Amino acid sequence: MNNGKNGFLTSKQRRKIRNNMTGYAFILPNLIGYTIFVFIPVIFSFVLSVMSWDGSQRPMTFVGLANFADIFGDRIFRGTLVHTVSYALMTVVPTLILALLLAVLLNNKIKGVAVFRTAFYFPYIASIVAVGAVWNMLFQPDFGPVNEILKFFGVANPPRWVVDKDWAMVAVSIVSVWKYMGYYMIVYLAALQGISNSLYEAASIDGANGWQKLLYITVPMLTPTTFFVLIMLTIQCFKVFDLVYVMTGGGPGNATKTLVNYIYEKAFTSWEFGPASAGAIVLFAIVLAITLIQFSGEKKWSKDL
Amino acid sequence: MRKRQLMAVVMAAACGTLVACGGGSTAPAESQGGAAPTTAASSGQDSGSGQAQAGASGGKQVLSVTTWDNESSPQFQAIIDAYEEKNPNVEIKIIDTSADEYNNSLGISLSAAQPDPDVIWVKDMGSMLQMADKEQLMPIDDFIAKDNFDMSIYKGAAEQLMYNGKAYALPYRNDWYVLYYNKDLFDAAGVEYPSNDMTWEEYYDLAAKMTSGEGSSKVYGSHNHTWQALVTNWAVQDGKHTVVEKDYSFMKHWYEEALALQDAGYIQDYSTLKTANIHYSSVFKNQQCAMMPMGTWFIATMMQSQQEGETDFNWGVARIPHPSDTETGYTVGALTPVAISAFTDQPDLAWDFIKFASSEEAAEILAEQGVFTGIPSEAALQTIASAELFPEGESNVEALEYVHYSFDRPLDPQIEEIRTVLNEVHEMIMIHSYSVDEGIAELTERVAEIKGWN
Repeated sequence: MNNGKNGFLTSKQRRKIRNNMTGYAFILPNLIGYTIFVFIPVIFSFVLSVMSWDGSQRPMTFVGLANFADIFGDRIFRGTLVHTVSYALMTVVPTLILALLLAVLLNNKIKGVAVFRTAFYFPYIASIVAVGAVWNMLFQPDFGPVNEILKFFGVANPPRWVVDKDWAMVAVSIVSVWKYMGYYMIVYLAALQGISNSLYEAASIDGANGWQKLLYITVPMLTPTTFFVLIMLTIQCFKVFDLVYVMTGGGPGNATKTLVNYIYEKAFTSWEFGPASAGAIVLFAIVLAITLIQFSGEKKWSKDL
Repeated sequence: MRKRQLMAVVMAAACGTLVACGGGSTAPAESQGGAAPTTAASSGQDSGSGQAQAGASGGKQVLSVTTWDNESSPQFQAIIDAYEEKNPNVEIKIIDTSADEYNNSLGISLSAAQPDPDVIWVKDMGSMLQMADKEQLMPIDDFIAKDNFDMSIYKGAAEQLMYNGKAYALPYRNDWYVLYYNKDLFDAAGVEYPSNDMTWEEYYDLAAKMTSGEGSSKVYGSHNHTWQALVTNWAVQDGKHTVVEKDYSFMKHWYEEALALQDAGYIQDYSTLKTANIHYSSVFKNQQCAMMPMGTWFIATMMQSQQEGETDFNWGVARIPHPSDTETGYTVGALTPVAISAFTDQPDLAWDFIKFASSEEAAEILAEQGVFTGIPSEAALQTIASAELFPEGESNVEALEYVHYSFDRPLDPQIEEIRTVLNEVHEMIMIHSYSVDEGIAELTERVAEIKGWN
């Protein structure tokens, strides 16, 4: 058996094949799932984006780039791009700053720190449907708690939040910040553990106060993490669907309709899979661009450190 | 290098699968389209063949049907039970979905072209047209011809469900708008009940008169649910317009009136209903409104509610108010069709089932539950009127008669897309983000875009 010249392969080659096979067997379950539920659908949506198809058994027809022309000619679609970008702008920076501040505060050895960490993390694991429904009640324009508090502080005409076309997206952003800052707080907390204490000690000897330490040690040392958080948050914002769907359904009118809401509506209300897939490709292009920025940035930051 | 080779293999395999998929999905489509009628016709010659097959496989025949919110309404279960009782060798498998998700989930499952479901209860006529356009419904003309099926029992409703000259469904339910009112609240206020011959102007006055109280104990004169139908229906009530038009200025008056009611506080604010996601039935059941325009399906809901002891106040039904230039008895409504999937493996059994579901016998069963069917008959009307929990008094029975019936939406293949626009604009107008004129301008423009009228 093991005389080394059995058949066509050396024992070394056979061992290698066996090893590879074992490796493939281990990744197979995941790979099958990934192929069926992610890879093939992704390829399929690329194909669909140049086809006209209504989801029936009738043949698809090739229409080239007409679907893209169709959606870019649709002002509802252009509106969703604006809404999505404005949502990202209103969400990303506040989430980032609040997550950082929370992490710095909860990195101290104060009493009950575990309770606070849990409390701030909790919204992240709460069901988005429940969160959306509860916040909708808090934002109720006439007797909701949020507006009652604003009135108490002398705001005569508080915004009508989710039923005001100018404020609905702000309301969704606030809920999003509240929900996701806990998660990024944990990311920052992990990164904070990696900053050497000696830096702070040296700064203390030089007479730096707490604020200066935060600004000149913590923030610069966290730059790679901040960059990571920034990219993840931005991608997440462009993919927003569930929170909008639950809170406003894209309304009032279409004031909070985002890119993914548009894709969903095109696909499953109008059954126009071509334009819907074209919209998905646009989203893919945006996310890809952000990811490429991240890749190049990652190289830069890792070189710096 | 190796990695790249592997990727190439994976890509090639994936493309191969796709091509196979593409080819696969076209071929059956053509054969299906051509085959369906022949299957129907050939198996028609031997109607016992289906049963013979089932006998051979040694079990019951299984028929799968799709329903929505089956738990909360007796409308499907009563018919399913009755059919199973009559046909002991048939077992009916229910595929239930929540009403909100029904059209989506049904559409997706039909895309798979599987033999299940066999029978489809169609939630609204718009989705029936979408499915018919996508060749997912089996035309039933051959069955009708074969059985010499008498469509006249539906008094024209079945013909109204025809699309492109083909029949795709039988009318299962028929619902139209009436005005519900809370007798106890009217008695307490010493105001006469709404009459069956009331103009919309008289209704507005009555709503004003019946509004009382403040804060959480406020009782509103009437209640408009958030649906766009609660405004646009009255605009099409006279039968001169539909909700798909080149010019929407005919809706201006109705939006102004709805806003006037809302701004005067005679009906609940749209924003409140929307943000708190309030269901109309809870408003009426909790006696927060004295009147409520709503479809006849709500009769069964109220009867069930009284039966279960959820509510115990006295309520009544009147005809929906009418525009001053029409007579009383003009109403707006919609049919609920029942159809057969184009991919069914049991076309004969499915036909037998939908025939039963829309038969006079089924109409009688449904009438006992307070449900109106596609067969308008004096007997069914009397059954509903004599049901134990139906409000007493001749005027309530008279309220259920109509002289003119407009569809709430026309049979337009793009109606679902147009309804999205109607809903969005409705919302913008009701929250005062648009003036009525701005809303109507946008409606006119966007519907013209969808219809390609520009």
